Amino acid sequence: MNKLYNIHTLWLGMLLLTLTTYAIGKLGYSGVVVVSFLLITAAAKAVFIIRDFMELRGVSLLWRVMMYGWLLIVVAGIAITYLLSL
Amino acid sequence: MDTTTTTQPTVELPRLLPGDFAIWFFIFAELLVFAIAFISYSVMRIQNVEMFNQYQLTLNRELGAANTLLLITASYFVVRAIHAIRIDDVKSCVRWLYLSLGCGSGFLLLKSLEYYEKFSHGINLSTNTFYMFYLSLTMFHFLHVILGMIILLAIAIKAQRGGYTAQDHIGIETGASYWHMVDLVWIILFPLVYIIR
Repeated sequence: MNKLYNIHTLWLGMLLLTLTTYAIGKLGYSGVVVVSFLLITAAAKAVFIIRDFMELRGVSLLWRVMMYGWLLIVVAGIAITYLLSL
Repeated sequence: MDTTTTTQPTVELPRLLPGDFAIWFFIFAELLVFAIAFISYSVMRIQNVEMFNQYQLTLNRELGAANTLLLITASYFVVRAIHAIRIDDVKSCVRWLYLSLGCGSGFLLLKSLEYYEKFSHGINLSTNTFYMFYLSLTMFHFLHVILGMIILLAIAIKAQRGGYTAQDHIGIETGASYWHMVDLVWIILFPLVYIIR
């Protein structure tokens, strides 16, 4: 098991990213840069869940495309609609 | 006599999906439904930015963040349960599954408190568009958490009775995959509904 990249460090990393997301909300920050950061943070956590918790690393390309494609469409959809709302 | 030896090129096959193959179609169908709901929320927000920003401030971010921590931790515990059964450590597997159920119960409790707070102020689905989305999205997810917990409980009971081994634990992987999907959806839902403005 990799010393730095394993399920334990990923779990702690995801907790830290969640606290960062909460802090941004609490401080009332908004805007394109902030929302980009929030979406990248959420996408990173989602990739960790799909690849390492769901164990889809190394499964058929079709299923990886379907799962990461879902994530990409959702995050891109939120980003585009946010830009349109400005 | 031909004495030359030929070596066959080794073809690395992709790993099989964890758990029962059928659950992955169910998981993907569920993800598509949530994707449509997230995009619908985002599109409706374009037409009602001020209203969405105003009423988002009434949401309890502390409970939302605590619930995110609980679901991520529950998923981590489920991963630990799978790792335990793979080395035939049934006792640890059962313990991790019940710890995960504890986190799930915590999520349901905090979410119920959040709903109680909103309902006691007379807020419901028809209050406005923001609350309609907030309540329907989170309640739909809430139902998935309940279903995920029922699956995890059934798995934990079967594991306790010696129903899984290192060689045969496809049921645990199937339930775990569903539970991770519930976590995955919340990871997007939390920043979208509670934070992004």
